[in-house]
Amino acid sequence: MDFNTFKEIAIAQAQSMGIADYELYYKVSQSSSVSVFQHEVNEFTASTAGGVCFRCIVNGRMGYASTEELSEAQAKAVVVRAAENAAVLESDEPEFLCPGGQEYASLDLHPYALPSTEALIAAALDAQEKLYAADPAVVDGTQTESLMEHNEIAICNSKGLDLHYANNLSGLVTSAVVRSGEETEDDYGVKLGALECIDIGKLAADTAASAKAKLGGDVAPTGAYPVIFSPKAMADLLSTFCGIFSSESAQKGLSRLADQEGEIIASPMVTLVDDPFHKDNPMPINFDAEGCPTYCKKVIENGRLNTLLYNMKTAAVAGKKTTGNAFKSGYSSSVTVLPFTMYLAPGEYSEEALLQKAGSGVYINALGGLHAGANSISGDFSLQSAGFLIEDGRKTTHVKSFTVAGNFYDLMKNITAVGSNLELPMPLGMTAFGSPSVLVENLSIAGK
Amino acid sequence: MISREVCKRVLQKAVSTGADYAELFAENTANHTISMIAKKVDAIHDTIVAGAAVRVYKGLRSVMASTVDTTEEGLLRCAQQAAEALGQGEAQMDIVLRERLFGDIHPVKITPASSSNPEKIAVLKDGYFAAQEYDPSIRQVAGRLLEVDHNILIANTTGIYAQDRQIRTRISIVAVAEKDGEAQTGSCAPGRRMGMEMFDTIDPHAVGVHAAKQAVTMAGAGYCPAGVMPVAIENSFGGVIFHEACGHSLEATSVAYGQSQFAGKLGQKIANEKVTAIDDGTIPNAWGSINIDDEGTPAQKNVLIENGVLKSYMIDRFNGRRMGMASTGNARRQSYAYTPTSRMTNTYIAAGQDKNEDIIASIEYGLYAKEMGGGSVNPVTGEFNFAVSEGYIIRGGKICEPVRGASLVGKGSEILQNIDMVGTDMDMGQGMCGSSSGSIPTNVGQPLIRVSSITVGGR
Repeated sequence: MDFNTFKEIAIAQAQSMGIADYELYYKVSQSSSVSVFQHEVNEFTASTAGGVCFRCIVNGRMGYASTEELSEAQAKAVVVRAAENAAVLESDEPEFLCPGGQEYASLDLHPYALPSTEALIAAALDAQEKLYAADPAVVDGTQTESLMEHNEIAICNSKGLDLHYANNLSGLVTSAVVRSGEETEDDYGVKLGALECIDIGKLAADTAASAKAKLGGDVAPTGAYPVIFSPKAMADLLSTFCGIFSSESAQKGLSRLADQEGEIIASPMVTLVDDPFHKDNPMPINFDAEGCPTYCKKVIENGRLNTLLYNMKTAAVAGKKTTGNAFKSGYSSSVTVLPFTMYLAPGEYSEEALLQKAGSGVYINALGGLHAGANSISGDFSLQSAGFLIEDGRKTTHVKSFTVAGNFYDLMKNITAVGSNLELPMPLGMTAFGSPSVLVENLSIAGK
Repeated sequence: MISREVCKRVLQKAVSTGADYAELFAENTANHTISMIAKKVDAIHDTIVAGAAVRVYKGLRSVMASTVDTTEEGLLRCAQQAAEALGQGEAQMDIVLRERLFGDIHPVKITPASSSNPEKIAVLKDGYFAAQEYDPSIRQVAGRLLEVDHNILIANTTGIYAQDRQIRTRISIVAVAEKDGEAQTGSCAPGRRMGMEMFDTIDPHAVGVHAAKQAVTMAGAGYCPAGVMPVAIENSFGGVIFHEACGHSLEATSVAYGQSQFAGKLGQKIANEKVTAIDDGTIPNAWGSINIDDEGTPAQKNVLIENGVLKSYMIDRFNGRRMGMASTGNARRQSYAYTPTSRMTNTYIAAGQDKNEDIIASIEYGLYAKEMGGGSVNPVTGEFNFAVSEGYIIRGGKICEPVRGASLVGKGSEILQNIDMVGTDMDMGQGMCGSSSGSIPTNVGQPLIRVSSITVGGR
């Protein structure tokens, strides 16, 4: 059964039950990937997954129910279950559906055709050959993967909203394993875009080089030092702590930024942007998970918190307008709040100038265990790290197996310089995070 | 779910281009989660995950295609897609499917659909308000009651036609305590492969108190000092150290590709002789238990390390081919949309001989990690990290003041040698483990252990 048929049956069911306010949210992803190991394709995957979420307002409360099985029985069942679920909710916050007839920004999706299976295989094989050719230290264990994805989203509701979105994605992942004597290291690289536009040679060479750079090295000495976070490391920190900018977290007492709008919360060097249309986000979108228009906004401007991120409900609680940041982590999830492309705006410093300014300290280019070693409620973090020592304003010895610890709220205030090298690493679903390199005063390093 | 005859026709289509193995996996899963925050029932997540996947192998090549269309036509299209992607060739086998009944070693008394929302909410509120009312410093509590009714069917060209029903229940309470404007959290989240009868043996009130007590303790704690020191890690979820430092590196997912520090080391001593470690999917009603794995192989009890010597890996059917070894019943996938691979079930360090008091008394200055958070590992290098959610300084062989914000980092192969005392009171804790085949329920476990030297991240 297709979505439109499912939709008609569900709407008829809702009407027969006297449900006046409802929404259907549909998302489906078709994806394929090819994995190459020891110069041969070892895995091919083609997957279709997705489903429909029905939600409705009954006695002022929003009930949800979802299914991946598009059948007549399920089209009726989701309506019944959503109404049952609404009946036991207790929250007194107002619930909304987005009215139709809104104005949406026009989207430049840079459309490109999805690659054929043959093209996927050729790219993954080519990348693997180039990885092995990049450096003699590259050994078996090295893998490459090419992938493509077609995503469709549709939202329609009883307020006349009827939106549809489709986007294509393809890319290449290179994972290099390098060995020297008994020591093994690895690293990976990702490039999204039309396969024919990806410089596979450069991706492979960069990946092999960054894996090789990890061989040898030392453990950083314990102490407090100035720390430079690379664009990727800082983007990872932003992604881990972005919840503090959610009005939902603030209203539930889970962010220290409640009542801080208009206040200075960061160093004057810090401007934080959320841009749904950023050119490096492969999934730019002009409506959010409630169907409200999305737009670009400065969350922090020169250290001052301009606005938290809102959806319709949290905006109503705060007496504000939504910022178009309603988000669903999956088609079946409740609506919450998240940025689209959140990045720290670039500053004036080249990396060399940042290193000079730091003088001595630690340069961190990889963080691990972010889901465990960071607490977004307290802001505390203590994270596995790797990078380089900074001595006399230059990167010197490679260091690993140490931790960096601090508090994200303090870190935002202690940024003393921001680089000009803005990068957006691999997006997580529809959300991407980016940053230039940043220099932070005094963080604790635990090593030898 | 799907008849034997339909399965047979789908497998015939799947092997039509010369595959030497084909498998159909179908599932229908009901997920139901009730959430509370700000003292109110805030949301119910209620979803049906339904779909199927066809996998074919030829030698060391594997193709998987998945679909949400589980009609016969949809399944045949999916099989056709897999067959075509494998390449060109002729069918090489006849398919005979025999229904296998593996029995149920994890009996369930109350299925999720047979208890009502109000009954479930009453249990959740018991735990929720126990946390909320524990102390005036508790500023916020989040609570969840999660139930999963996961029905799977597996048919493959070795002749298996089998089904399993995996029911799981879990309660999670997270409490936030505030002191001097700073917030700290505490949590407790026990789960079982059971229905609501889980609460006959697990008191939700105690779950709430546990979470709140931890939050209050941590709100009053100073920062953990940084450095290299001995650490005593408590039982139950403390077992996450073995899960990260060693478990992932013993999965065929990394071993078969030479991406593990323990590849090629069977029979060698890789850990201190005090360490015996086991992965056991057969523990009745345990969170990580299964009757059959997601390739239809019955769950097993596998001794991974015995007195420090590596005895076995955790192996799935496909990676087993590359390794020349049989499946150990460890193939798992989050859902039909993921390619299954070797994963842990209930993995633990077995009880040893050391007394708890001797372990603590042996440490002049170090850390007592009473409760652990999650962690992660890079199996290639063995470098792992995990967070200490409730820690205390040990001074002069005695447990002293609480400390917060600690993490432990190290290299699996080194830490296994440093586990030099192993206590007697093994217990397990529940987690969700994320890897290439998605997020799956796993138990970790151990008695109290001593790690003679490890890097403690703090400040």
